[in-house]
Amino acid sequence: MKFRIQPRSIAFRLIVAVLAVELVSSILVVVLSFGYERQLHFRAFDVMLHGRADSILGAVQDAEDLGDNVMLDQADLHIPPEDIYEVWDANGRLLGRSNNWQGTGNSPGAGPGHPTGPSGEISELRLNGHHYSVLRIQGSRTIDPGEQGGGKTRQVTILYGSPTSHVWHAIRGAVEFYAAGSLFLLLVTGPLIAWLLHRGLLPLRQLAALASQVSVDSWQFAPPASARTTPELAPLTLALESVLQRLERSFLQQRAFVSDAAHELKTAVAVQKSSLQLLSMKRRSPQEYLAGLERCLADSLRLEELVADMLALARAESPAPTSGPPPSVDLAACIQQAVAQLESVAALRNVQVFVDPSANCRGTTSQVAEKFNRSRIRKSFVTGHDFSRAANAAKSTWASAPAALSSGTLSGNMLFSAASSVVPQEQQDQEGALAPEGVSLEAFVPLPPEDCTLLVSNLLLNALQHSPPESTVELRLTREAQTAVLVIQDRGEGIAIDALPHVFDRFYRGDPSRARTTGGTGLGLAISKAIVKKAGGAIEIASQPDPNLPSHGTTVTVRLPTAG
Amino acid sequence: MRVLLVEDEVRLAENLATALRDGPGFAVDWAEDGLIGDDLARNACYDLIVLDLMLPRLDGLSVLKRLRARRDATPVLILTAKDGADSIIQLLNAGADDYLAKPFDLGELIARAKALIRRGKGAAHPTLNVLGLEVNTLEQTVRRQGVLVDLSPTEYRILEYLIHRPRVIVSKRELLEHLYDYNWEHHSNVIEVHVSNLRKKLDAALPEAEPIVETMRGRGYRLAPSLPSQGPDQSPAPEPAP
Repeated sequence: MKFRIQPRSIAFRLIVAVLAVELVSSILVVVLSFGYERQLHFRAFDVMLHGRADSILGAVQDAEDLGDNVMLDQADLHIPPEDIYEVWDANGRLLGRSNNWQGTGNSPGAGPGHPTGPSGEISELRLNGHHYSVLRIQGSRTIDPGEQGGGKTRQVTILYGSPTSHVWHAIRGAVEFYAAGSLFLLLVTGPLIAWLLHRGLLPLRQLAALASQVSVDSWQFAPPASARTTPELAPLTLALESVLQRLERSFLQQRAFVSDAAHELKTAVAVQKSSLQLLSMKRRSPQEYLAGLERCLADSLRLEELVADMLALARAESPAPTSGPPPSVDLAACIQQAVAQLESVAALRNVQVFVDPSANCRGTTSQVAEKFNRSRIRKSFVTGHDFSRAANAAKSTWASAPAALSSGTLSGNMLFSAASSVVPQEQQDQEGALAPEGVSLEAFVPLPPEDCTLLVSNLLLNALQHSPPESTVELRLTREAQTAVLVIQDRGEGIAIDALPHVFDRFYRGDPSRARTTGGTGLGLAISKAIVKKAGGAIEIASQPDPNLPSHGTTVTVRLPTAG
Repeated sequence: MRVLLVEDEVRLAENLATALRDGPGFAVDWAEDGLIGDDLARNACYDLIVLDLMLPRLDGLSVLKRLRARRDATPVLILTAKDGADSIIQLLNAGADDYLAKPFDLGELIARAKALIRRGKGAAHPTLNVLGLEVNTLEQTVRRQGVLVDLSPTEYRILEYLIHRPRVIVSKRELLEHLYDYNWEHHSNVIEVHVSNLRKKLDAALPEAEPIVETMRGRGYRLAPSLPSQGPDQSPAPEPAP
């Protein structure tokens, strides 16, 4: 059988515990007092028996007869009527006995057969339903001490008994007093402890009341100073405070994100709405309508991109599913895909992308090229004139078209190095790029493939957007023990020192004056960070804004734990 | 009328500028962040400032506060994506005259912009009746003593500006500042030609009346030189020329 113990309040448990301890100690007190009282009372009883027996001995007198015998003079004896006694002489002659006793014939310990037993022996006797303690003493009486030779000494044996019921009665009285006292204390201290505990737990209840007042609208939690200094409450108080602070921070972040997202979305919608209303403000020529429609389409592409990025961020920030096999993807393959997706952007900006070590891109070339050509995205950026649309289009492919490298779309902007990371690479020409003999470095990282590609393409797109024409963006993949390290380096204008801590913030755009013109939603780095964080990795960004230094530009370093 | 548009979203700014130019015929200057907006607003040549709230470098509320701290009374229309009465109360208390929540209606924006400019110049009704001239700012039509006067857009804009300040000498420079944005080459003789044409057209409508636009040589132009005011016209308190 299994019992479920109902959780009780701490106060109740404490009261029960204290009362149980009290009860046990009361019982102990009663037992101890019983022993002590018995000892005490029986010692006094023995003394009394001795005293009375001695007074009996005092009543033994010279019988004034010829044999110089002794006799018991009972006339002067003042002893309690319930006591019993017998006096024997050395010859076994009964000198006298109390009236209420028929003799020791019934007495096992002090019978006539044992008149010479040891003196001072106390034996128990039951008489008329009463328990008696019987003391035997050997006494001597000197007859005619004034005569020559000191007179004659007669030995007598006195048996003196007294009922023990009085003693027991006294002992019981004392024990009863202790027991009653303990019980009374128990009854009094029970409610007292309850009251004291109630008072003692007051700070805890106050703390709970304060904590219960905290809500999403009011994060005020001001525990009294005593709660912080009380040893029992301090850990709870501190834990509550830190939890609330963290909660508040994340809640405010969330709220800020919602507010920012609302702002971005409303602005995007406002753009679209105003474009359409502007178009309908007056009659226009078909060419004007066409141009207006194209602008509206571009606006909705931006809105689409914003929504896609927000969804990607939400997905990247949601906790990884615990069921199913852990995701695993080759980072090198992701780099290859991302480079392929963004080569059109690189071509538009006239920026070279340098991958080290290059991945082996032969094999699926033709089918991928076909897929790439078929995608609507490609059409849109082939006809599009502006860079941001190409970027949009390329970004849109992340979700839909898993494009890989195709020889048909490879331009001179893509350079691949066959050298491994430790050997200084030489830039190869286009032929080398088209037929790389690179050693493919495999680095399997715990990420879903689409997230991994998104991570790399986000970072690469960022680098491309901030690269001046004719410059190079480098991607380097190395392995350190259990970590894959991806370094993406551009030779762009860099990031201002004061902007650097904020670049991973959502909707933060590093360069305010050019923020909107370079396109982008301000979510790319936030998404990248969320993806890296989810995989248990780290991302850091370093920048050298000084254009006079050869090392100027921005370097993003991603460290991901390798799965295999 | 000249409007300063402070908005960081390029496409939205383009659309708004086009709408304000094409619709009511305002001159529009565009600032893409708060600092530039604040700088431009210091020129004090604007009849309205359309201000976005979330701006890079300096947010809209700060721009507004700086503006009002300089005792600049230019009407300010706030564009906001924020919801909530608190934010709106804060804005209005900081000196904003009106606000529009994104996404807004372009027609509403233009109507509010016109109303704010009108109010800023002391007129309540969109139709202004001054010195026998009736200017309907909604239809952009002008009548002199009931006779319709056909004006070119520039001539109309000059008259619309002058009619808000009757009997006050308006310098050529002031006219230029309020009618053209900063991309425009400021040739004062362009204004002279337009004012001359405007006067001719107004006088042609009512040949027997005295010329209504007076040229004060070297000082500027004045609407209604010697005529006493007629009827219940809304003559705003004369403002010092900027």
